Amino acid sequence: MNRTKAFTIPYVVWMAIFVVAPIIMVVIYAFSGADGGFTLANFASMGDYTVVFVRSFRLAIIATVICLVIGYPVAYLLSREGARFQRLATVLIMLPMWMNFLLRTYAWMAILENNGLINQFLGLFGLGPFQMIDTQGAVVLGMVYNYLPFMILPIYSVIIKLDHSLVEAAHDLGANSVVTFLRVILPLSLPGVLSGITMVFVPSVSTFAISTMLGGGTEFLLGDLIEQQFLGGAYNPQLGAAIALVMMVIVVLCMWVMNRFGEGEEQAVVL
Amino acid sequence: MKKNSALSRAFTFLVFLFLYAPIILLIIFSFNQNNSNVVWGGFSLNWYRELFHNRIIMRSLYTTLLVSLLATVIATIAGTFAAIGFYGLRRRTRNVLNTVNNIPMMNADIVTGVAMCLFFVAFFAGWKDFALWFNSVQTLFELPTRLTLGFPTLLIAHITFNIPYVLLSVSPKLRQLDKNMIDAALDLGCTWFQAFWKVILPQIKPGIVSGALTAFTMSIDDFIISYFTAGSSSSTLSMTIYGMTKKRVSPEINAISTLLFVTVLLLLAIINIREARQEKLALRQQAAPASLPAAAGNPGRRKPRAPSWLAKAAAGIACTGVLATAAVGAFQNTRQPVVNVCSWGEYIDEDLITQFEEETGILVNYQTVESNEALYSLLKVGAGDYDVIVPSDYMISQLIEEGMLEKLDYDQIPNFSLIGEQFRNLPYDPTNEYTVPYTWGTVGIIYNTTMVEEPITSWGAMFDDKYAGEVLMFRNSRDAMATALLYLGYDLNTTDEAQLREAAGLIADAKSRGVYQAFVMDEIFLKMEGGNAAIGAYYAGDYLTAVENNPDLAFVIPEEGSNWFVDAMCVLKDAPHYNEAMAWINFIASTEANLRNMDFIWYASPNKEALEQYPAYYEALYEEELDQETYDIIAAPQEVLDRCQSYVVLPKETRRLYNELWIKLGIQ
Amino acid sequence: MSKELIRLSDCVVRFDDEIILDHLNLYINDKEFLTLLGPSGCGKTTTLRIIGGFLTPTSGDVFFDGQRCTDVPPHKRRVNTVFQRYALFTHLNIFENVAFGLRIAKTPEDEIARRVEEALELVNLPGYGKRRVESLSGGQQQRVAIARAIVNRPQVLLLDEPLAALDLKLRKDMQVELKRIQREVGITFVYVTHDQEEALTMSDTVVVMDKGNIQQIGTPEDIYNEPKNAFVADFIGESNIIDGIMLEDKVVKMYGKKFPCLDGGFAQGEPVDVVIRPEDIDIVPVDQGQITGTVTEVTFKGMHYDIIVDFQGFKWLIQTTDYSPEGARIGVKIDPDGIHIMRKSRYSGMFGDYSSYSEAYDELNVDADAVTEGSDE
Repeated sequence: MNRTKAFTIPYVVWMAIFVVAPIIMVVIYAFSGADGGFTLANFASMGDYTVVFVRSFRLAIIATVICLVIGYPVAYLLSREGARFQRLATVLIMLPMWMNFLLRTYAWMAILENNGLINQFLGLFGLGPFQMIDTQGAVVLGMVYNYLPFMILPIYSVIIKLDHSLVEAAHDLGANSVVTFLRVILPLSLPGVLSGITMVFVPSVSTFAISTMLGGGTEFLLGDLIEQQFLGGAYNPQLGAAIALVMMVIVVLCMWVMNRFGEGEEQAVVL
Repeated sequence: MKKNSALSRAFTFLVFLFLYAPIILLIIFSFNQNNSNVVWGGFSLNWYRELFHNRIIMRSLYTTLLVSLLATVIATIAGTFAAIGFYGLRRRTRNVLNTVNNIPMMNADIVTGVAMCLFFVAFFAGWKDFALWFNSVQTLFELPTRLTLGFPTLLIAHITFNIPYVLLSVSPKLRQLDKNMIDAALDLGCTWFQAFWKVILPQIKPGIVSGALTAFTMSIDDFIISYFTAGSSSSTLSMTIYGMTKKRVSPEINAISTLLFVTVLLLLAIINIREARQEKLALRQQAAPASLPAAAGNPGRRKPRAPSWLAKAAAGIACTGVLATAAVGAFQNTRQPVVNVCSWGEYIDEDLITQFEEETGILVNYQTVESNEALYSLLKVGAGDYDVIVPSDYMISQLIEEGMLEKLDYDQIPNFSLIGEQFRNLPYDPTNEYTVPYTWGTVGIIYNTTMVEEPITSWGAMFDDKYAGEVLMFRNSRDAMATALLYLGYDLNTTDEAQLREAAGLIADAKSRGVYQAFVMDEIFLKMEGGNAAIGAYYAGDYLTAVENNPDLAFVIPEEGSNWFVDAMCVLKDAPHYNEAMAWINFIASTEANLRNMDFIWYASPNKEALEQYPAYYEALYEEELDQETYDIIAAPQEVLDRCQSYVVLPKETRRLYNELWIKLGIQ
Repeated sequence: MSKELIRLSDCVVRFDDEIILDHLNLYINDKEFLTLLGPSGCGKTTTLRIIGGFLTPTSGDVFFDGQRCTDVPPHKRRVNTVFQRYALFTHLNIFENVAFGLRIAKTPEDEIARRVEEALELVNLPGYGKRRVESLSGGQQQRVAIARAIVNRPQVLLLDEPLAALDLKLRKDMQVELKRIQREVGITFVYVTHDQEEALTMSDTVVVMDKGNIQQIGTPEDIYNEPKNAFVADFIGESNIIDGIMLEDKVVKMYGKKFPCLDGGFAQGEPVDVVIRPEDIDIVPVDQGQITGTVTEVTFKGMHYDIIVDFQGFKWLIQTTDYSPEGARIGVKIDPDGIHIMRKSRYSGMFGDYSSYSEAYDELNVDADAVTEGSDE
């Protein structure tokens, strides 16, 4: 197989240019001022944005937890269904991605508006209207809605590969269903859970369209902040790069700490 | 295995309902008679018909499909070869490369997007120096000096984030591959290449196919990375939709999405049925008695195989991709004259574009951008590959100040003579060398008469607890600050820091008291038309569009006065299609074009003939009289204009202060 | 025997610092059934891969029919291989699997059809062409793998533990089958196995290997009856190996007693290894025995009993049809032709004591073999 090593060369070159070099650019920008000289000013002004960092991470954590709470049972229940249903269901989970996510989020606007479908429905019973859109809750809902499949699929793909005789062995050794689940299935599905958490948390913490659409522009998140510095009103790419860098470092740290839990486990296959 | 209880099935069902509710809604409303996403107006196929005439959507669909297909094909080939290469590597090297491979997947999209954007911009800058030097030392080739974000960068970005998915789905298949199989092929007389082609490739095909499908799905669904790398000359469907979500999403988008969705649904349904049928067939084959006593088989080794037609579909996709590239290449070789125009959303009667193309043979790339500030950022980043832009007054003076505009050749724009005197030599371009006005209008308050007790007359309504939770404020600093400055009785263009801080404090205070439902730009259409908010500050022309969908809306220019603005056409420095740009500007400045635009977008025309003729034009077109009130809102009469003031560009320090105040406001 | 076909000359294979083959010299005759036998890691599969062309030796040369072919790639050698786990192409049906080599060689279509069917008939699978690989049992897949190799009419067929994945009964059937096939096609078979019984049953020549060296080459009878050292004696069948001293030709001293034997040619007083096969020992009453010991363990084996007897702290395995209860004192008698004398070697003292005898020993050996030989990384 020696000659196949050469196959990696174009790939390595490509990745070096278009993955590694751009990230180096971010670092360079983060440490430069508008005039191009070295400065730490971008980081010094980071304190002003603590609120945004805290809010972004808080909402992303909430969304991730909700995704886990909903996604794990779905993945687990799915793995116990018949093969045909399973195949159908996994397809159905992937399928919404073919409807543009902005559009689906837009549809949520119509559902959550003060005059939207839910409030109209509640109105039939003389309830409401409740303020649902333009709240943090709506932003979290948007995150959960968009990233839930990324939680279900990795967990499902790990659970489905579990050897069923392990469950039988646990039963045989006297464990009831609950204990079996807690002591056998849950720990063994941990790699899927970790990869699911990553795949939900990372996009949640950095999203910018969802917060604008469902948060009414008041729930400024990290993504919005960064976007504003590059293509939005507040043109300041150096600051944007610095914020992106800090966000990236925090996320990597979180992931690193989390993956210490599942050390030695190979990462679950994505999708 | 125990089956799930009815209760847990119900739970699963609810989750699926949650996933599909918005989609079902979108599909239903794609058949809606009217253009609302909330109110059902009866069944119709109008939007599907309209779809094919909407050039922006069709163009972005084309871009999306092209970039997705090309990126998928290239990434699949590259990823497969990389995976095979990885397979032969030592473990340590492989681990390092795997980590790098995971970066685009694990990194936040926005970081990837921003990083690539910065990289490209830096590269373009370096390229410019190189090209200038290269052109100066030799005369054989002339290298283009001005590169911008566009289709190539978009494609590169998509390939880059697709490769990891392909690699990730091919690698396990390679690991499962019995190495002896390769030896067996060599042993049976294959050269290494034949073994690769006849054994390795068919064996890892399921991985390749699923990798390609994942990559394609990711490409189609991607928005954030495209947004930062496509510039705005090649919008993907996502970007077009993003532009629209700020206003009213045109139901044609519902229609195109429904079509895409249903296509995929059918495709997957067919795959599923075929797979099930094949499985049945295989079972039957196995059940057939063998002529030899069948020893215990090895059921664990049975792997589900991807149906061969799926592979054919993948091959088909590949071919289409290649053909499409060829087509694009050929298309670009025709050297049809082109002009790139950037304007605001729903700011032109699109028939005018077609007419211009037919008359002159010049192809128009028409793109839109959200706000003056966003336009400025795009230009600074080098993302905008435009010839003609249509910024507002204060932004024009800023662009002139920074030397980003080219002087116009008025000899080529005879229609400039039709522009009213009061719209020439305005403060933003005192000697009128750079601009031809496009529209003008006023800012005021839109309110819902059923939701307020008395008519709104003052900017005070924007800060009044009485309407807490019902008020929509501008999501751009200049306009939002203006409402507060006007209410406080200060000058719109004040540079006094204390006054500005006071104004910002007023907004911040109202925000903390919960007066604002949201900070919006074009989302105001949706909210006001749907009766979701009572009061919102916005532009006069847009009020007239909104009132068509909700007759309860009213508009007022408050007694404290307001801003009146002019949007004007300018040409960017070093515009590659200068003469075509002149032709376009002249065409748009004509009386006929102005009439059509005025009728379409409800913004007033600076063309004196058009302004005079519009009521008659309206009557001829709709066979009813244009009422004076409406006309006055479109084209504010002089006594209203006297109360209004236009923006001028603010000094740098003030702009910085604006920025600071604005960001403080956002993150409060 | 007929003429020489393959010669490995002074072959060394080294991965990193590990020596896999240590200056190996081996020749293989035409139409011969030669078996490379040895425990895991002995270098037998490596030897096979050198012959197949999948591996180039670090140093040394390979000759095929007198021509040097050390660097010739596999597809240019008139050698085909049957792989341990068959390595059938799961994306092709049985017919296409067998036809694979012929197609690569651009054989005409009608000839392919004929030869594939012939090959399938040879392995007793006529009419299986349309089937998918997964629908066949392990034994059937094995036959397909043989057919796929043989259809190309190679001069040499290499078989890498082809029966390892089959169960015992099937393995026995296939041994007979393989021998039949070899006779019918009349080509050289080079067969790799760790199973001594397989080797003895099928081979014309057995090559016993260990640690990258050839320990002994010979006919199955030679190997069994005249093992060259303790390793071979132990690896082939069961052996009690006792330290002895050669007093003179045909007399060896063990346990301080003289035993008559048939071997000679040793120096007087030379320490030697004495091999006594368990079935060559007769149990006699204590007073008639050449030596006496205590029975410590008895296992019923169907046709005979395995009994372990303690002779002054050294435990022997004796296979006998006579039952002796545990704890009984017995005498044993060994005929001179039951005693085989070997020179001392690096293996002396490592084998032949049944103090830790366990049935599991063989099984462990098998597993370890499959694992290490399977991966060549």
